Amino acid sequence: MMTDMTVATPIQALTKKDFESGLDVRWCPGCGDYAVLSQITKLMPKLGIPRENYAFVSGIGCSSRFPYYVNTYGLHTIHGRAPAIASGLKLARPELSVWVVTGDGDALAIGGNHFIHAVRRNIGLKIILLNNRIYGLTKGQYSPTSELGKKTKTSPLGNIDQPFSPVALALGAGATFAARAIDSDQAMMAAILERAAKHEGTAFVEILQNCVVFNDGAFDMLSDKTMRDDTRLMMEHGKPLIFGKERNKGIRLRGMDMEVVTIGENGVTAADILVHDENAAHSGLAFSLGQFESPDFPVPFGVFRDVDKPSYESLSKQLAESARAAKGRGDLQRLLNSGETWTIE
Amino acid sequence: MALMITSDCINCDVCVPECPNEAITQGDDIYIIDPAKCTECVGHFDESQCIEVCPVDCILVDPNHTESKDQLQAKYQSLTGG
Repeated sequence: MMTDMTVATPIQALTKKDFESGLDVRWCPGCGDYAVLSQITKLMPKLGIPRENYAFVSGIGCSSRFPYYVNTYGLHTIHGRAPAIASGLKLARPELSVWVVTGDGDALAIGGNHFIHAVRRNIGLKIILLNNRIYGLTKGQYSPTSELGKKTKTSPLGNIDQPFSPVALALGAGATFAARAIDSDQAMMAAILERAAKHEGTAFVEILQNCVVFNDGAFDMLSDKTMRDDTRLMMEHGKPLIFGKERNKGIRLRGMDMEVVTIGENGVTAADILVHDENAAHSGLAFSLGQFESPDFPVPFGVFRDVDKPSYESLSKQLAESARAAKGRGDLQRLLNSGETWTIE
Repeated sequence: MALMITSDCINCDVCVPECPNEAITQGDDIYIIDPAKCTECVGHFDESQCIEVCPVDCILVDPNHTESKDQLQAKYQSLTGG
């Protein structure tokens, strides 16, 4: 007789504390990673998913210590390979909520290939990329998102590598959900993570994260409360792309390009400002927004793109079911002995 | 006046070891300052140490616990037995 020995904690009774592992967190005091951990553990009890149905997968780097600190299943895997391992897990156990926590080095340098292919397949992973624009764990070398001219231990005369925009890269790979948040704005991060968690298919979130030791102040312009209204563009679906302390700056389309304009100057009116559309069939406008950089443009935050497409795991399931319906259950031994097999005598 | 931590706190733990009064602990949601123990560093330092190190500037004077510098000094003395 089968007996169910497991007694799951009622979902509604779970709190943030239930998702904290209680292990000593080894990030540097002051690190932005703490903010992400706090917001994700806060979000998890709200999603109504049993604790045993969460899995966190990471590669290598400061961000990749994440699975230790959440009280769920988790794997601290191989450098850059978290999307591959998480893809396998999601395919085998599609009912799990599978999260990849990675960084600008892990996801975009050594793991660039795995990252773009996970995104391209639209497999149901939540990919959270903590972008501090530096290699923190290895003590301060430039990363694929380090800005031009940046002096680091490996670029003493200034970085000459063009940086990636992680959001633009994800959109280029066909992301069905791409968003950006920042460690210093808790309300914004909470709202974006919740939407990512509920997205079918790959949900990509870049979180700008201050490294207090090796790249301190990298995002001060975007965090400082006296400056951020002028340096950030908060995108909202169906609303005009307006920013600035006076709410009089906006983004206008000029041909296929975008420009910053001031409402009330040179005949520009509120009606000229581009309205943000997360659901656009093509990602061109979102891709342009993903390339905005300070100081010429405000840095966009929020959801760049959110479209519905079948997830990889749902297509894979359909494929398996239709094959079973047509040919019946497979027989592995027969398959191994079929076709071009021969016996050596 | 004791200090307080606002909801902007990112739970980064940087303030805890800096506090000479051991007034800061991890709360359910964010870190919290015990107003009975906070002297705003009066008696220890010229500047409030937690405010100096907080990476997101989320520590402010608590409007519900207003105290003069003399009161803070007295609190320091009662805490340290000095």
